[in-house]
Order: sequence, then structure tokens, then C-alpha cells
Amino acid sequence: MGIPGRTDDHQWSQRHLSHYVEGDLRPRARRRLDRHARGCVDCGRGIRAMRALVYAIQGLGGLAGVRAPETIFDRVRSGGPGGAPSSSRA
Amino acid sequence: MPPEGRPVPDPVEHAPDPADTEASLLARAQAGDVGAFERLSSAYADRVFMLLLRLLGDRSEAEDVTQEVMLRAWQGITRFRGQSSYFTWLYRIAVNEANRALERRSRRPAGVAIGADELQLPAPAALDPSRQAENSELRRALGRALAELPPPLRTALVLRDVEGLSTQEAAEIAGISQAAFKSRLHQARLRARAAIGDQALIAAGG
Repeated sequence: MGIPGRTDDHQWSQRHLSHYVEGDLRPRARRRLDRHARGCVDCGRGIRAMRALVYAIQGLGGLAGVRAPETIFDRVRSGGPGGAPSSSRA
Repeated sequence: MPPEGRPVPDPVEHAPDPADTEASLLARAQAGDVGAFERLSSAYADRVFMLLLRLLGDRSEAEDVTQEVMLRAWQGITRFRGQSSYFTWLYRIAVNEANRALERRSRRPAGVAIGADELQLPAPAALDPSRQAENSELRRALGRALAELPPPLRTALVLRDVEGLSTQEAAEIAGISQAAFKSRLHQARLRARAAIGDQALIAAGG
């Protein structure tokens, strides 16, 4: 027979890993997840993987070498459908 | 990082004019000065283009939609009331236009698959070769995982984790509540984590 609340804690923790990594959990909820993850290999790994995922995705964010094309204002300059803003058309 | 309060970089090759603050450029743009509008929007053009590249996964479509975003912003500039930052307003137009483009794409008979390669960037040059190889493998896997996400989840992940916007600002741009945004972000991270695998992520995270 399992420890009462063990399954509930596990499922709850799995559902809140992203919120945990995000720092979105209230202190009591954070302590609950911490307590559970200390004895749960799956959730401990889940936290490490989620942190690594967020870190890796954040690493995609740089703008080095990527520039908007020079054509971005072409439609604005050519008037486009509707052309200028409403106040200047009046 | 949210750009609020950030000075507007001067896109033209002369010394920045102190009169060219975001507020003064905005006022001139709203009065119909297209040059002021271009200077105002140029400060965010690279970020808007990059966002669209991430969301659409196709460079030529991202170029086309960036032009459309700028046209929509110009046409709607007099309706901008400053309730959010200009950047947030522009980004929201970009997300809406990306959604419209994806909607058009989904209606095509043979939908164009999103290009995972377009969702990547070159790895930083400072890493040693073995670390760089590991890093670029992870970047490819991340690109594939992003490409496979449904558009609303991809938008959440890109705005919050790639762009580094606050939850509040990202939710505003996505046009949903913060609670709904967090739920989407959580779903997106779970799917990306499942697609890449815990082992690969933890190994790459060192």
C-alpha cells in the first residue's frame, strides 16, 4: 500500500513543474513540490530538464546576424491599401 | 528584456537628435509624418522580423508579413493611445498578422510545413568545438520542437522564453489573460520537453 497522498503529490508536482521553474508557485506550494521532489527521481529529473529546456530556449533569443530586410517600409511608402493613417487622410 | 523606457536607437547614420524621443516621434507619426513613423518603428524592426521568423519559420513569408505589420501600424497609428508601450502594440500587430498568415497557410491544399531550420540561430562562436556540436544538435532539436508546436503554444514559448518578455507583457501581446498565457506556456514547455527528451536536455544543461 502506498503512502497516502504520494500519488496526488506526484501528479500535482508533474503538473506544476513549469510554474515551479517560472517561480510562479506560492511559498507553500513551492515547499510541497520541493519536499516531494527530494524523494522522487522522476520529479527531480523533471525539474532539471525543465530548467535546462528554458535555459536552452533562452539561448535562441540573440539577434546576432539577423536583420530586418530593407524592404519593410515598402508598403508604407507606396501607400498600400488604405495608405496613410486616418488623421493625415482627413 | 522588455524595451519599455529604453531610448530609441538611431537607425540613420548621424548623431541621435535629442528631439527624437519615442514620444516625439510618435506624436509626429500620428500627425502624418511617415519619416517619424519609420524612425520610431525601425528601432524594433529587427525584433519584429525575428519574432515573425520564429513564428512562421519561413524567411520570405516573414519578410512579407513584416511589411504588412508596418503598413497596419502606419494605418492604425492614430488609434494608438499609449495604454501600452509602442513596442507592445507593434508586437501585438505582429502576432495577429502571424496568426492570419498561419490561418491562410492552413487553408492551402498542400500546407507548407514550417521550416525548423529557420527557427534556429547560429551557435555562439566562443564555445569549444565539442560543446558547439552538442549545442548545435540541441538547437536543431529545439527548432524541430518549436516547429511542431501548435501556433498558440509556439507564440507563448517564443514570447516568454525566446524573447524574454514578462508574463504580463507577453499575455498582453498574445491578447489573453495572464492565467491563460501561463497555461499555454506550461503546455508548450511540456511538449517541447517531451519532444527533445529529458536526457538530452539535462546533458546539454551540464
